[in-house]
Amino acid sequence: MTTRLRGKAAIVGVGTAGLGEAPGFNAMDIQALAVHEALEDAGLKLSDVDGLFTANMSHTFPAISTIEYLGLKPRWIDGTNTGGSSFVAHALSATMALEAGLCDVALICYGATLRSDAGRMTPAAEQPTYEIPHKPRYPMTAYAMAAATHMARFGTTRAQLAEVAVAARAWARMNPEAFERDPLTVDDVLSSRMVMEPLSLRDCCLLTDGAGAVVMTRADRARDLPKKPVYFLGGGIASYNRAVSEMPDLTTTAARDSGERAFAMAGLKPKDMNVLQLYDAFTINVILFLEDLGFCPKGEGGAFVSGGRIAPGGELPVNTNGGGLSFCHPGMYGVFTLIEATRQLRGTASERQIADAETALCHGNGITLSHQATAIFGTEATL
Amino acid sequence: MTAQLPASGPDLEFQTHVEDGRLWLQTCEDCDTAIFMPRIICPHCGSLRLAWHPASGLGTVYSRTVLYGRPKPGDTRPTRHALVLVDLDEGPRMMSRLPDTDPDDIAIGLRVKARVEGEAGAHVIVFDPAGEANA
Ligand SMILES: [Zn+2]
Repeated sequence: MTTRLRGKAAIVGVGTAGLGEAPGFNAMDIQALAVHEALEDAGLKLSDVDGLFTANMSHTFPAISTIEYLGLKPRWIDGTNTGGSSFVAHALSATMALEAGLCDVALICYGATLRSDAGRMTPAAEQPTYEIPHKPRYPMTAYAMAAATHMARFGTTRAQLAEVAVAARAWARMNPEAFERDPLTVDDVLSSRMVMEPLSLRDCCLLTDGAGAVVMTRADRARDLPKKPVYFLGGGIASYNRAVSEMPDLTTTAARDSGERAFAMAGLKPKDMNVLQLYDAFTINVILFLEDLGFCPKGEGGAFVSGGRIAPGGELPVNTNGGGLSFCHPGMYGVFTLIEATRQLRGTASERQIADAETALCHGNGITLSHQATAIFGTEATL
Repeated sequence: MTAQLPASGPDLEFQTHVEDGRLWLQTCEDCDTAIFMPRIICPHCGSLRLAWHPASGLGTVYSRTVLYGRPKPGDTRPTRHALVLVDLDEGPRMMSRLPDTDPDDIAIGLRVKARVEGEAGAHVIVFDPAGEANA
């Protein structure tokens, strides 16, 4: 039943714009540039787009504003906003809409100018009523508490968290588009300014501008388009809470369920994955998701990421673009996991290319560990 | 048929009950589970039969973090603001603070006791360490 979507759609175009800083432009401007780039990559035109999948934090009606700006006339719209995980979830719903014939060309897009807007993160209108009076700082408070709990329960250390940031930086140094490319050591991370115990500045993602766009079509049409198709093999979502205080166990996320659903649909296992793109808003995220997605047992994520295992040359490449920690993080990052997975599976990731990559896992995380979305992609050989 | 509204909403009920200085929680009369944040419906069984009871106010720090802010004028040390998640003895978890306790003295596992802070209509639950005498 759940395998009905496997291989039915593919990513046929990707584009980015305004990565890092784009002063003088607004979110819709750079989003439009990314969309133009993605459509050119796909050999398609704006007028071909008849399905739109988008979310953001700057607009109350992101999809409608996007339609107006781009002059789209979509037959199908999915504006489900689950935070930064939205776009990974959109890959699943776009495949569903394409397969159902609700649209023929699906556009997934996002843009934000957080850095040029002086780091103003538009606060969500809806905030947890019984947390706000205590003055938490979202989203960081939730992740700091998850890290503290993981450390207390499993003996995870700040140096192990730092390994995640160091690996991300090592990948970013091979990506000319990455925002932060200076060398970074575990000691640098540990000695960076404490922001929210136990997370220091270098445990936290960047705050940049940036836009990303992804174009998907049904698999049969994808084969006739110019670029090597990147097939959707499986996807899943899971969500159980909005507020971190409502999360049953801060050391286990809903990624356990979203991942299980994605692997079941793809008919694959963690050991079959060649490259991972995990939403790294904070260093603890990567440790949690490696555990919850089944790459190592619960509690062993800290040891797992140590010794360069997820860094260039390590046995499990994670966040090969440099991730939200070093590549770019314009508030919502999910779309960039799809874009980097596509580049890796096309074999066009230049210096950071993983040899013979046939499978890639993208994982999006939304709000404060509130929503998890997993999508698995593969080359023609995996169909 | 349209649903019948209770006499007042859960947020208002919470504010009214904690006016007496104690923490109050809803308990589901069908599945006997204590609930926080206040709701109309039991998230465990879907029942509408939720009743308010005073809670023990006792709990255990489940997680803690400390936010480092910009130093105050004339000072070089960052301001520190500790936040906790408290697992109440009755079951639910809540975010809160220990306003009179040094952040370094707040550890995961610390036993705490609730008190009510704030003005009428905007009360919040904060905690103090639960000394032997309080426990
Ligand atoms: Zn119940």
